Amino acid sequence: MTPDDPYLPAAAELVEVIDETPTIKTLRLSPSRPLAFRAGQFVQLTVPGVGEAPFTPSSSPLEPERMDITVLNTGKVTEKLHQSRPGQILGLRGPFGKGYPIEKLAGREVLVVGGGVGLAPLRAMILALLADLGPIKRLSIKYGARCTEELLYWPDQHKQWAAREKVDVTTTIDRPQDGWTGPTGVVTTLLKGVDVDKPNCLCFVCGPGIMLKFTTQALMEEGFAPEQIYLSMNRRMSCGMGHCGRCNIGPHYLCKDGPDMNYALIKDYPNLF
Amino acid sequence: MNKTYYMGRAELGDVLAERSRSSGGSLLSPCGGAWEQVRDPDRAVASLSGPRGPASPKGFLLPPAESLGQYGAAAEAATATAAAVELVGVRACELRAREYMDRVFEGGDFIDPRYVRRREAAVVVSCDCVDCAASCFCTLVGGEPFAREGFDVNLTPVSDGFVAEVATEQGKAWLGRAATSEAAPSQLAERDRLRREMADRLTGQNAAVVLDASAAAEALPDDADPAWQRFAGDCVECGACTNICPTCHCFYLYDQLLGPSQFERVRTWDSCLLSTYHRMAGTAGTKLTPRPRLSSRLANRVLHKFSYSPRQYGLVGCVGCGRCVDACIGAIDIREVVKELGQ
Repeated sequence: MTPDDPYLPAAAELVEVIDETPTIKTLRLSPSRPLAFRAGQFVQLTVPGVGEAPFTPSSSPLEPERMDITVLNTGKVTEKLHQSRPGQILGLRGPFGKGYPIEKLAGREVLVVGGGVGLAPLRAMILALLADLGPIKRLSIKYGARCTEELLYWPDQHKQWAAREKVDVTTTIDRPQDGWTGPTGVVTTLLKGVDVDKPNCLCFVCGPGIMLKFTTQALMEEGFAPEQIYLSMNRRMSCGMGHCGRCNIGPHYLCKDGPDMNYALIKDYPNLF
Repeated sequence: MNKTYYMGRAELGDVLAERSRSSGGSLLSPCGGAWEQVRDPDRAVASLSGPRGPASPKGFLLPPAESLGQYGAAAEAATATAAAVELVGVRACELRAREYMDRVFEGGDFIDPRYVRRREAAVVVSCDCVDCAASCFCTLVGGEPFAREGFDVNLTPVSDGFVAEVATEQGKAWLGRAATSEAAPSQLAERDRLRREMADRLTGQNAAVVLDASAAAEALPDDADPAWQRFAGDCVECGACTNICPTCHCFYLYDQLLGPSQFERVRTWDSCLLSTYHRMAGTAGTKLTPRPRLSSRLANRVLHKFSYSPRQYGLVGCVGCGRCVDACIGAIDIREVVKELGQ
């Protein structure tokens, strides 16, 4: 495949498919050339001949020789991705976008809020932070899914993360279920009176639109300022370069300026969620 | 300081006839409506004294559809296969549109190599407007009916001939022997007078819709405001305005199968007015597009031109060519939209 054209995909071999939940799989890819990315940047993943879709890798940016992409089966391309088998050649373009402002986190507390498959992009940041927890004060992870079957990276990785000093992980499911002893209710219920040093905390949120909306509302009610909230915005990012026009929120192209946007920059535009 | 020459109509006709022969069919003019190969030099010369044509030369920078290359078993990037074109009769508004496109495709972190190749290869022979369409309004959006830069040669139709301003070596070579007699001060004075008269005429014909583009940037309501409905009610979502617009550049990427393990990526123009434009994957019950309403999409187009582009590229995204006004079958006039909602 052609490496030097930003519009054309470079080959990436699918080396492993991990069944995460009934609707979510993680595809482990071996790019034909290392594809270095910053946590929160996204790639366009091509199913040859079918099309491409944007994903933020869920693996650590410190390991660029392999890339994990966690995919919810929700459309034409993602359905084909779910049918893909190890050995198959897929295509990658990117990385695109700004990525999480990791450099702003030194000396601060970090609150990560994920809903459903939204934990996937956040995992890249979590893994980057876990690799060197020194600069940050604390990492709080709040995660919610519909039911135990849909919990992502559960339970092993949650336990590994929680075992680290300075890290706490709380996980909830929407409704009580047999054998579940943890909290129940949507993820915003975990934010009521959340135990973080609010003035010195930045929040990173990723999940479906409705979850972003109510999480933002909950964080504002808790006293966070819009400038402290970063939202993983989802619109139809196609070219990845700010050329094709379709992913704008006002003057911001998510593919260039996001996909994680500071809420203060976008809060006055309508139809956000 | 660029040199200026004077030549008669017949002399310019000879230049076009010669270029038409030697360019292998890539000498193009909008004298027949669409940009086409010059077959009748006299007609092409005559069209320079008329108003701008119905189509801009946007398609030579960003073709309506093109292969971006193949991938799979045998990879190859598609080179810009279109022969270098010589465009005669490009208007000042179209050069401003190209400046805007430059900022989109060459001005960011990612550069589109196809755009650059086409941009570099084209010979641009612009011409002043000494006539205009009723829909022309370049002077309302900071433009002028003549070009000061961005061309190889600029032509001004004056009495019995043309003043030709040569800005590049390529332009000098293009004119060949026709670039011999320098323009006289009286001919340059006539050029300046014609330019002033045309600017005055444009200002006059738009006196009723004086709009302030920078005020509009702040004053236009957001895309959820019901005020847009007044205009969206006339929109039939045909996409003519975005196709005809010299700065609209949104495109759609898709992949197709060429063989069992050979694939092609294709780019085609797209339109932000169409309901499918923003559509995303998603299960039932999720919001699949941020702008399900046509009024929001119409608003997004106007806001992009007047409010977002100045912040994104430092330029208003409308050059006042008025083509969308002519093309709209719902008779939506962007001047009225901006005046009514943006002041």
